[in-house]
Amino acid sequence: MTDDTRATRGRLTRRQVLGGAIATAGAAAGGILLGTPEARGAAAAAAGDLRVALPAEIVSLDPMGASAAEESVRVVAAHIFDSLVVRNTRTREFLPALATKWTTPDPNTWEFTIRSGVKFHDGTPLTARDVKVSLDRMIGQPGPLAPLWTAVAGTDAPSDTTVRVRTKTPLGTMLSNLSLTSILPADKMNAAGFFNQPIGSGPFRVSSYRPQGDLALAANTSYWGPAPGVKTLTFRDIPEVASRVTALITGEIDLTYALPPDQVASLQSNNAIRIQSTPSYRYYFIWMNIKHEPFTDVRVRQAMTYAVDVPTILNTLLKGSAQRMTAPIPSTVFGYAPQRLYTYDPGKAKQLLTEAGHPNGFDATMIWNPDSGPQDREIAQALFSYWNAVGARIKDGQAERGQWLTKLLALDWDMDFQTNIVTTGDADFVLRRLYTTSANRMGYSSPVVDHVLDLAAQSANQETRKVYYGQVCEIIWDDAVGLYPFELTATYVSRKAVQGFVPTPSSPVFTAVTVQR
Amino acid sequence: MAGHIARRLLYSIFVLWGALTIVFVAVRVIPGDPAQMMLGSSGTQADVAALRHRLGLDAPIGIQYVRYLAGAARLDFGQSLRLEEPAVQAVNERLPATGLLAASAMALGVTVGLPLGVLAALRPRSAADYLVSVASLAGQSVPNFWLGIMFILIFARELRWLPSAGIGGLSHLVLPAVTLALLLVGVLTRLVRSGLVEVAQEDYIRSAYAKGLARVAVIRKHALPNVLIPVITVVGLQLGNLLAGAVIVETVFAWPGAGRLLIEAINNRDYPVVQVAVLFITISFILVNLLVDMSYAYLDPRVRYQ
Repeated sequence: MTDDTRATRGRLTRRQVLGGAIATAGAAAGGILLGTPEARGAAAAAAGDLRVALPAEIVSLDPMGASAAEESVRVVAAHIFDSLVVRNTRTREFLPALATKWTTPDPNTWEFTIRSGVKFHDGTPLTARDVKVSLDRMIGQPGPLAPLWTAVAGTDAPSDTTVRVRTKTPLGTMLSNLSLTSILPADKMNAAGFFNQPIGSGPFRVSSYRPQGDLALAANTSYWGPAPGVKTLTFRDIPEVASRVTALITGEIDLTYALPPDQVASLQSNNAIRIQSTPSYRYYFIWMNIKHEPFTDVRVRQAMTYAVDVPTILNTLLKGSAQRMTAPIPSTVFGYAPQRLYTYDPGKAKQLLTEAGHPNGFDATMIWNPDSGPQDREIAQALFSYWNAVGARIKDGQAERGQWLTKLLALDWDMDFQTNIVTTGDADFVLRRLYTTSANRMGYSSPVVDHVLDLAAQSANQETRKVYYGQVCEIIWDDAVGLYPFELTATYVSRKAVQGFVPTPSSPVFTAVTVQR
Repeated sequence: MAGHIARRLLYSIFVLWGALTIVFVAVRVIPGDPAQMMLGSSGTQADVAALRHRLGLDAPIGIQYVRYLAGAARLDFGQSLRLEEPAVQAVNERLPATGLLAASAMALGVTVGLPLGVLAALRPRSAADYLVSVASLAGQSVPNFWLGIMFILIFARELRWLPSAGIGGLSHLVLPAVTLALLLVGVLTRLVRSGLVEVAQEDYIRSAYAKGLARVAVIRKHALPNVLIPVITVVGLQLGNLLAGAVIVETVFAWPGAGRLLIEAINNRDYPVVQVAVLFITISFILVNLLVDMSYAYLDPRVRYQ
């Protein structure tokens, strides 16, 4: 925007302000005076009330439903329900939650000891049967997380405190999968309308909820674990970023996250706001369709990688909100192994293209859908111009999300640009789900990758799995299946009244947070 | 009169059927598959197929259409694909919020637009006239998503007079209602002004002045009633613009209304919710148009319905 147009808009604003003031006065003269001054929300809210605006609407409270993989559903599920184990995102270790201990008597059997004395919000005790029935529902439901469970043969609950999970082949990701599985009350979870006001055993109980609207939670005073730090936890639904930032500044909400970099920058000078960042599970990548010419040739794919100046894009477009990626998976994820970086070298890119038989470059199209990540439009434009400079004339195949998804899954594209989240925090979720021959998501097929990924999935030894995933990272990186430019930072902005919040790579937890007003 | 209303309502059934058919086809013609959207990029082909079956989307299109019309007759459009509640309930829950917003904007628009138009017409080509005309043109032209954000920045962030988002007390209603009303204010002001200026040339206005009536009385009793019919017509027609505006305003101000629900439903190919929302919008159009027609008979003694 030039200064000229900005000035014009400024004048328009004042005119509209005047119009607004007149309109307001005309219609609702007395009413406004009666209106509650909620703009001064910080003073009005009771101490011990935490109000959070999630980046996306809460579509449903069913932690196993069609929206189970959505970030906002995961966040609220972690507060209403418990899982058998929880992951410490710092150490990547699994800690006991509803399961106090677990053993693997043989590679295909897992036995969990269920914590006794745990009660659901309605006072009924939580037993091994609830765990078994919840696991069965998770495994049987055709939801987005169901593919994690295909190796399971069956579950049983031999006693009130023991649950056994049997698998067809060893399941190395058992604990990571279980950390995403909420335990529901067996006798109630299938009742109609249960998920409008679900009952769990978690640190908060549901007070009120409207799909796509606000969700009010109240502390579970008889929680088995450490007591929640606030009396009430409210998730406010504010879709528009400018409104969300304003609500934070005026104290209508206490915390939000996943703001665009320019909005975070505008908050930096605000003394009432704290900004906390941590590397996230989310990353940008560009796939090349390995079954489409000219990407069948590894030299072309490597040329595309050498052609892009990643550090410059990072510093100009994503300053402070991302860092350079050093593997096909983010550094936060279990199984990550750093790789040798492709340095920006347009000469080498041109040379590789010539060697591959494209001295005059080639034409292709890249699909992407807007709003898939911060600055995506700008990044896409930068990519096009870098590639164009070495002769790769890539057309902009921007499409609306539904259309993009249909094309993506049908492999009806040359290149694809998007973000992805490693929901489980485990390399298996990305590597085995996307890069095997049978997954067929970008036409890549490597018998070695397939084999090593199977070995990794079937190993219960975490150190061994790590070695396997490291090998796969290296093969995919050297084969240049895609460009892996940036891993995004999770940036949380909160009012200084919020104490004790620890930023996490994804799915923030507010149980230990206190609010000092 | 009663016969006329009954006949109009009978025709409405055909209008509804037409709208239902168009939306049925439209949601299926746009690219994108609901099952795919629900499962996201992680869904396997088998899961997508299973989900399509559960949603009844694998049935032949003719069968789907018959099921859909049969359901519509019972006001049953099935479960929302995404929200895990009946689609009718999902829309119903949010209609009051949209109704409140649209009605407030409508009321605001009329109570401000009408007097402003009169003010401008009182002295054509005066400073007041130019000011009102330019302001109303701006009101009509400024995109409401931008205006909404500006209002938030000024009244919520800088001045802190009003809350920025959500529903609650009257204070929450002010910004979204004013944003939505400004378009209507612009349209009405210009319409009333030009109508009054035109009518002022008529013989009956001259006669009214000739018989010694004061200016206020001439405008109130003779000029304004003759301008009202086109005004009422436009107010009725503006309902469409109001609902379209509500979609945007509800998103900007986090107003939990049916407009936002509709947009999210379209984005996620939630067919049942889209269908219900369009049905409700059609019904509101039919009713408003009927009301507008009825008002003609009241406003203009020459109009008679048989």
